Formats: sequence, C-alpha cells, structure tokens
Amino acid sequence: MDEKYAVDIEHVVRIYKRDEFEVRALDDVTIRVPQARFVAIMGPSGSGKTTLLNLIAGIDHATSGKVSVGGEEITGMKERDLAAWRARHIGLVFQFYNLIPVLTAFENVELPLLLTPLTKTERREHVETALRIVGLADRMDHYPRQLSGGQEQRVAIARALVTDPTIVVADEPTGDLDAKSAEEILNLLTELNRQFRRTVVMVTHDPRAERFVDTVYRLDKGVLVGVEAGKIAPAHAAAATAQ
Amino acid sequence: MKYVMLVLKNLTRSKRRTLLTIFSIAVSLFIFSALVSLPTVASEVLSDTASSVRISTHNKAGLAYSMPEAYKQRIAAVPHVVAVTPESWFGGIYHEVTDQFPNLAVDPDTAETMWPDWGVSKESWKKFETLRTACLVGTATMKRFHLHVGQQIMLRGTIYPFNVTLQIVGVMQQSNAPPNFLIFRRDYLEEARGRPGVVDNFWVMVDRSENVPQAIKAIDEGFANSTAETRSESEAAFIGSFMDNFRTFFRLAEILGVIVVITIGLVAANTAAMSIRERRGEIAVMRSMGFPSRTILSLLLSESLVIGLLGGIIGCGAAFAVLKIFSIGSPALGPITDIQMPPEILAATLVVAALIGLLSAWIPARAAARMNIVDALRMVA
Repeated sequence: MDEKYAVDIEHVVRIYKRDEFEVRALDDVTIRVPQARFVAIMGPSGSGKTTLLNLIAGIDHATSGKVSVGGEEITGMKERDLAAWRARHIGLVFQFYNLIPVLTAFENVELPLLLTPLTKTERREHVETALRIVGLADRMDHYPRQLSGGQEQRVAIARALVTDPTIVVADEPTGDLDAKSAEEILNLLTELNRQFRRTVVMVTHDPRAERFVDTVYRLDKGVLVGVEAGKIAPAHAAAATAQ
Repeated sequence: MKYVMLVLKNLTRSKRRTLLTIFSIAVSLFIFSALVSLPTVASEVLSDTASSVRISTHNKAGLAYSMPEAYKQRIAAVPHVVAVTPESWFGGIYHEVTDQFPNLAVDPDTAETMWPDWGVSKESWKKFETLRTACLVGTATMKRFHLHVGQQIMLRGTIYPFNVTLQIVGVMQQSNAPPNFLIFRRDYLEEARGRPGVVDNFWVMVDRSENVPQAIKAIDEGFANSTAETRSESEAAFIGSFMDNFRTFFRLAEILGVIVVITIGLVAANTAAMSIRERRGEIAVMRSMGFPSRTILSLLLSESLVIGLLGGIIGCGAAFAVLKIFSIGSPALGPITDIQMPPEILAATLVVAALIGLLSAWIPARAAARMNIVDALRMVA
C-alpha cells in the first residue's frame, strides 16, 4: 500500500446479481490517483463509472481485487468500521444534491459533524467556514427549497468538505445544472483541489469537465479503456504547475 | 442531545400526517385507558373491603328472599359479634324512572358502629338516630341530583305501593362509602309496610377480621334447617359476588381496549412505513456520510416514540380528565359508580403508547437502517 496514492485500486471486479443474471459492472480495473489531484472518471452510461466511485467512497464492496483509499485498505472492512471510515475520510457530492429538505443550509452542512466529538460552538465555526468557502455565508438559514440548483449543489459541496475529508467524491455534480451553474461548480471543485490540496474524484458525462481536471479515466463496459491528461485551462494549469 | 434537533425537524416534515397520527393514537389510548380502568375500579372496591370485619347474612335462597327480623337478637348473641344492622331494600326512584340509585333502609341504632368508615359526621349520625325521616346520601347521588343537606326529597316506591318522604341529614363522604347509595331508617319503612317483621339482609360486625370465618360458620349453623336458612359471607366476598355479575362486561371491556390498541398499532405501523419509505434516499445519504445503522435506527425509532408518547399523553390525559369531571354513574354498573383512572393505568397507558411508537416503526426503520446504500441511492437518482 502506497500512501502517496489517494486512491489505489488493483484488479477490481464488481459483479452484480440481478435475478438469475450476473452483471459485470467492473472488470479488472486498476487505477492509481496520486494525492491532491482532481480527476474525472468518464464514459458512457453503464460503463461502471458510478460503481467505481461507490467503491472509492466505501459504500459498495468489490467482488474481488483491492481498494485502498488514503493509504488504508477498505476492501475487507466490516460495515460498522466502514461507516466510521467514511465519516473521517470521504466527502460525497451527488448529482441531485440530496440535501435534507427539513434542514436549513446550516443544518445540512452540520449533519456530518454530528458524528464528530466537536462541541456546538466548534461545529458552528466549521459550518460557517465551509459555507463561506462555497460563497453561501449569507444563505445559512435558507431551506433547500429556497435555493437554486447551483446553490443547493454548493451547500452539498460545503457538507462534503466540512469534515475536512481525505477525498471529495462527486457523482455527476453538474448533471442537474445549467451551463453557468455547472461552470461555477467545476470552478469550486477546482478551487478546493488547488487551494486546499484536496483530492477530488468526479464522475461526469460533462465534456467541459475535461478542462478542469488533471486526469481523465475512461471506462467502457466496465473496463478501463484509457487514462488521459485533462485539458486543463491555462489559469488552472499555471496554478497546478506552481504547486 | 445533538440529535434532538434532527428528530424534531423530521417530525415537522409532514405536520398534518404527524398530527393525525398523534391524534389517532390519542383517541385509541383514550378508549383503551377508559375501558381498562373499569375492572381496576372493581379490584379497588374489593381490595378496600379485603380486611373488613363486616359480614353480610342473607337468605340462603337468594337476596330476593327475606328473613325474620327476630334473627337480629340471635345473631347478636353469636361469639365475636359486635353489632348487627338489619337492612331492607326499598328500590325507590327520584322523579323519573331513569333517576335510579340504590336506596335502602337500615336500623339507625347500630348504623354508626357498623359503618364508621363512611365519613358521616357525628352530628349527622345523631340526626339520623333522632329524626324518623332522616336519610344519608352518597356523594355521587348528591352531585347527580344537585341535592343539599337539609333538603326534603320524596322517593317513589317501585316495589312497594307507597312513597317515602325523607330529609337529608348528612353525606357519606369517604371514598369507601358507596357513593350513589341513600340510606334511611328501617323503622320508617316498616311502619309504611305495615310491620311485616322481615328484612333482606343483616350486616354483622365482628371484633377482629380473623374471627370472621368463625362467626360466619356459627351464624349459618344457627339457622340451619330453619324456614329461612342463612348464607353469610364476608363483605369482600359479598361485593365480589356482585362484581361477578360484571365480570363478562369487564373482560369484554379489556378485550375491546386491546383490540383498539392493536388496530391503531397497525395503522401507526403503516404510517411509519410510508414515512420511512419516502425518506430512503435521505437515509442512504446519511449512511454514506458515515452515520452507523444503529444511529439511523435510533433516530427513526425516536421519532416514532415521540409520536406515540405525545398520543399517549393526550389520550391518557383526556381520559383522566373526562373520568374525573364526569364521573360515570349508572344503575347498570351497580356498585361501580365513580370510575376514576388509577395511577397504574396512567403509567400502563403511557407504556402502551411508547410500545405503539417503537413497535410500529421497528420493522420499516430496521429495514431502512440496513438497506444497501447503493440500491437506495439508485432509487433517488
């Protein structure tokens, strides 16, 4: 196990059983994502992108192979240990934001902190900082229904980063947004990666994403078919080079 | 404590559904607690008389058959007997046929000795002994007909072809006095009846409770093979035999109470299942954040527990208040005229409320807490 890799996936196979059929969602996939990178997993529908992301996030188990995240092998972890591990290391962003509708933006972001031993005052500080980073410090008391799609996704990103996770995992974060909001979210994720040196692994269909990421992993029918450098924008490239 | 906010927020998710569930549980527990209180009152009546030193001696053929009043002296001569009070049923009504309540005549000279625990004042007993038309009335009957001490009332005879005019000289105030009874003087009744010299029942007081069986044996043996053989029984057994008439009714009340609770439990389970099913995506998101299954389960059960307990408090409180304010009095309930909810029923109803809350949500909450995160997230997408 190598700690310089934020994600180290070796010969992973994931087979789902659907009634009498077996679906080979991932077939002998090996991926290594170095620390503090912003990478995208791309491919057509049914190529196994989300399955791979779920394995990295520790919410699914590989049928065979090894999955190590943040230098820790999670393949054989029991559900209880895996839950605690996720709370410490993973920040998840979903396509449909998945905010709790009865909680305000503040309370949604505070939610993962309830699993930590932080005091109420400390939690408040963390939440305010996270919401400030995503530019929603003035919307703390708003409910999700009072926010636009882009703002909801920002709150979801704040929720993902508030625990200071090892990796931010985003599943189609721009999939439900208009072009402008999508651009803003990609900029925000890039900023997280560059400014706070957070590893970001993103599954996306969005071709614009290639301009923001360091590496693109292409999957097709559960097989890794290519690893490409991202078409990083000049400004981002300069920042990346400086690091 | 940090999860309290989460539980409360989730309860307000669908305010109408939460309120309807709370009120349906409240109504069912109102019915449950009221019905279950009935047999408990009977048990209380019996336990109050358990250590009584009073004996009821009546005709072996049944309460409807009378005995010679001359038995009084013979019973008084039995060892350990302290006092004997003959009693005759009058069965009159006040104004209307529906205005029924137990009214009977007793000898005034031994009444105070026989029932010192009825909370009748010395002054009232004295008036009862001196005024031929005097009567003593239980608190429930006083309240029911808005009577007051000093008032003159007329009871219309239903068994006998005459009415009696009585003056209320006191109230039987203690809780162990029959709250709906009216007692008046037997000499007044005897005179109106033409002095037939018979009584329906003898109340016999013995010196100590351990001597009750011995006295019963001696009395019944004394009248064996006579024209009116007697059957004596302790006060507890006497009232118990009265209660036996209502046992089926009480059992039915208990069964109905349980059926109501089970029914509402199933309704609450359906509501909980619907509520949890709608939130499977959110639950999956929380689990993906690292919330352990047991925490999710505890949160879901806490919500349901709060709903159950709120329903329990409202239902129980309403039943307690209703029984307290409108004490149910009906001739059909015989000696049970003042139904109140005992504290143990209050506590038991709250436990039932908590169980409705916990059990109704247990299966869907457990399933949701253990659900595969990926499958649940796929449903949201």
